[in-house]
Amino acid sequence: MTDTLATGRQDAPPPIAHHPVREVFTGPVGSIGITLVIVIAAGLIVIGPRFLSASNITIAGQFVAIPILIGAFAAFALLAGVVDLSIGSMAGVSAAIIGALLVNGWEIWPAMAITLAACLVFGCINALAIVGFNADPIAATLGMLTGLRGATYVIVEAFGQSGSLFAFHEGLFAFTNMMAWSLPLIFLIALCVTAVAALIVGKTRLGRHVRAVGGDPLAAARAGISVARVRTGALLLSAFGAGIGGILYVGQLGAVSRLLGFGLEFQVYAALMIGGYSILRGGVGAPVGGALGFLVIAGAANILDLSGISPYYVNVIVGALLLAAVLLDRLRGGDAYE
Amino acid sequence: MAEHAIGHAAPAGRPGMRFRLDGWGTAAVVALAWVALVAISAINRPDFVSHQTVLAITFTMSIVGVLAVGQALVGVSGGFLDLSQPTSLILTALVASRLLALGLDLVLAILVTLSVGAAWGLLNALIIVYGKLNPVIVTLATNFIGLAALFLLFAIAEAPIDSAFRAFGRSSFLGLPNIWWPMVALVLVVGFLLPRTRYGRHAIAVGGNRFAAQARGISLRATRFAIFIASGVCAAIAGLLFAASSGPFTPASGTVYLLPVIAASILAGVSLGGGRGNIWLILLSVGFLSTVPTALVFFGLTSDWQAIFQGAILIVAVAIDGYREKSVAR
Amino acid sequence: MEGQTRSPFRSLAVAAAATTVLGAGYATDAAAQDKFKLGMAVGGNPCCEWMKAQGDVARAIAEQRGWDYIELSNNDDAATALKNAGIFIQEGADAVIQFNGQPSANPALAQRFAPANIPVVTYDIAQPGFYFVGIDNLAAGLAGGEALGNIIKEKWNCEPDLVISAEGAAAGIVNEWRTGGMRDGLKKVCPDIPAEKWVSFESQGQATVGLPAARDLLAAHPDAKKMAVVGLNDGGVLAAINAAEQLGRADEIIGWGQDGAFITGDNVNPHLAGSVFYFLEGYAVYAIRDVIDAIAAGNPPPMKDTAGDPASRVEPCPVSAEEAAKVPDMPERVKLLLEAPPGTTAYELFCPNK
Repeated sequence: MTDTLATGRQDAPPPIAHHPVREVFTGPVGSIGITLVIVIAAGLIVIGPRFLSASNITIAGQFVAIPILIGAFAAFALLAGVVDLSIGSMAGVSAAIIGALLVNGWEIWPAMAITLAACLVFGCINALAIVGFNADPIAATLGMLTGLRGATYVIVEAFGQSGSLFAFHEGLFAFTNMMAWSLPLIFLIALCVTAVAALIVGKTRLGRHVRAVGGDPLAAARAGISVARVRTGALLLSAFGAGIGGILYVGQLGAVSRLLGFGLEFQVYAALMIGGYSILRGGVGAPVGGALGFLVIAGAANILDLSGISPYYVNVIVGALLLAAVLLDRLRGGDAYE
Repeated sequence: MAEHAIGHAAPAGRPGMRFRLDGWGTAAVVALAWVALVAISAINRPDFVSHQTVLAITFTMSIVGVLAVGQALVGVSGGFLDLSQPTSLILTALVASRLLALGLDLVLAILVTLSVGAAWGLLNALIIVYGKLNPVIVTLATNFIGLAALFLLFAIAEAPIDSAFRAFGRSSFLGLPNIWWPMVALVLVVGFLLPRTRYGRHAIAVGGNRFAAQARGISLRATRFAIFIASGVCAAIAGLLFAASSGPFTPASGTVYLLPVIAASILAGVSLGGGRGNIWLILLSVGFLSTVPTALVFFGLTSDWQAIFQGAILIVAVAIDGYREKSVAR
Repeated sequence: MEGQTRSPFRSLAVAAAATTVLGAGYATDAAAQDKFKLGMAVGGNPCCEWMKAQGDVARAIAEQRGWDYIELSNNDDAATALKNAGIFIQEGADAVIQFNGQPSANPALAQRFAPANIPVVTYDIAQPGFYFVGIDNLAAGLAGGEALGNIIKEKWNCEPDLVISAEGAAAGIVNEWRTGGMRDGLKKVCPDIPAEKWVSFESQGQATVGLPAARDLLAAHPDAKKMAVVGLNDGGVLAAINAAEQLGRADEIIGWGQDGAFITGDNVNPHLAGSVFYFLEGYAVYAIRDVIDAIAAGNPPPMKDTAGDPASRVEPCPVSAEEAAKVPDMPERVKLLLEAPPGTTAYELFCPNK
């Protein structure tokens, strides 16, 4: 995947010099921020002031919090140039594992530890194939996506009844429904995680290393950065985030169905790409932009919900935004595909 | 990832040669795995080796195989993936079913369906070429939009049950499904032409190293257009076979094919990055992948287990492939 | 490049800021609302024509009554259903009807609706505290199974080579009632079919999606000729029938479906001997006549939340293929239903053997 792009980049024009002030408006985060402003404006016009009411933000926030959280972790893998398509199934299998443990009488903390450990093992397999054996990330994680979906089916069938695992957990349910400053706590947590990720990516040496590895692995290796270690770490983070997401879904929904997390990877990566990441090219994108991508889609979907328009139009909007975002990225001097 | 990128680009001068030699390692592995799978299944249940099993597997192969040819063409030419196949498959199947229900002549209906497939490919190509956008993202977006449009367009469709078209779809020729033969013919013809005709070699060259190809005077644009239109036509052929052989379908019925098709293309040794892949090997990879679910049923495992095995096979296959490629590059 | 893109961005930003100001001053119309407001969450599974129709019928009746109506789609996804509950509460719905194809989230939904005091009607899948409107799925399964059993008894003297169950595990308990109910109904007529003749495959309730699994199952039983098919719905049963056609073994396959989705019109598979109509598209007539009207009038009916003692019972209508041939197809039925006098059910209008 990255290989042809790497050869391409040798002939690509040199990057344009950064201009910090201009970047605010024309940079990837700037344009997604402006898109969000447009969505909010549209919401205020079509729906009215209640579009920004605490109640409405709570509804959208509660729905989008877990995807934002999963996306914040998965974005590290994108940044390092190794897309992880298995996150949707990973969330599903995580929910199935913790659900199975809870219905078998396990305490919540050890159950969570085992679930996350299992997800890290799956992440290790991803890393082994991609980093150790040089497998193509899209192909390898597509395999993991398929396999973990099967594992979810098998676990839900084995420990559930009638196609679902009823794993209602009082504490977890309360946590996922907790409010703070009249907003959902998990939404605020998702935003905090995004902020921390933004700090790591933007301000730390680790963040620079991740971006360097994703942007140009050969140059990063020459500069003494361990490409293998960074990519392994990024894939483990991605698996961990999806694992957390699955656990939170069990709290929110009180049950695990066979289809939990089905197709989530497309939703997450569409939002991240709208927010300025690329699933094909490492080193681009920023956590704040990614989170804004989710908010743009959630806002647009909310407008459709409240104005009674067929929900199938959401995907038309997602598709159009995706094309617009990559087109903008290219106009801004991103890699042209020829 | 990128370590082998340079090595990859080097033999661009004679891509045809490298291209032909490259796939056979993968072929041997897949063939071995296939033989082993059949052998183990036959030892487990001797009645696995039966005409019914062959029919079941070959029916499964047919539509996946045709779609995999389109997917492989996109891959070989450096276009990575065509993620819009679920839309184009159902769109063309819908067109064919509706036209036949209206009583349109079969040949005419087939021609219209193939042009709709080509038009879908053209649409993708227009966005890719003039937007200079990556095909993975473009086809992801057109699939999002296309599926949503299909939902707004129809709920259930089915080609007329008593038509000659449907009779063709459920019958066999020489003991193998009618819809299997067009798939084999397509794989053989495309696999023969790709490395042996000028246009085919251009596509491979563009996939191997587009800048070197461009330097040799090959038009990248023309190649992209040709490849994505070809992929659309493949989807239309698959759509015809699908409409002929299957019962009532919905806008979402095509989604289940995407993963097996990509897996088949990768297992056939098609590099997602381009420049490498032998179309003929699709017969092997699709055959193997289509045997797995049938064999599992003979082992008494539910279809829930199928995904686990298919996922594991894909990971192992691409890991072996990646390792081999890394060794070659050194 | 940057120079070119900068100015459009700036003007966009200005435009956006301007519209924000305008928007804030614009809409304050959501104030006084004494109209009754009905919320409807459709299933949103792309599998089935009737899921869209359920919303269309509810909308039409709500408009006849002069109510406000909001429709959302559960998108066949538990998290979306939960989000929709929040929207109904926020939008001040006075009552909500839902079809939830992912019933695992029903308890969480109940937790959300209860504090808001919004009465909820649930179709087909019971949840304590929700008015149950729908079919007794188990009774429908039993009825279909008995009908198929009678054919098998007559034709094959209760000695089929194989009885195939087209399961749809994602439908959960509904699958167990319908598919399991059909098996039990069949056993009532033909009690002595040996255990090894009963096999099943995962059809996912869709003809084309279940086709490969059905093919594999048939291949694993190569000698079976006389095959009976039961299942979650017509689509699943058709998957097995289509598989038999492909394998050249359709001469002696007889299926009996559930839900009647593929038993009307001029394109009916000849091996589908019958089905059980629920007239799913017309459920809103029951829900509104027996529950919502009373709520709108200010005296909610007593809570009946089980399939055994429902707030409104939908009668299953088992039909043979010949009988079904006289029944109009779904778009036509929706039209006729909405033209009929208020409160007339699709069962009364269309069931050929009441």
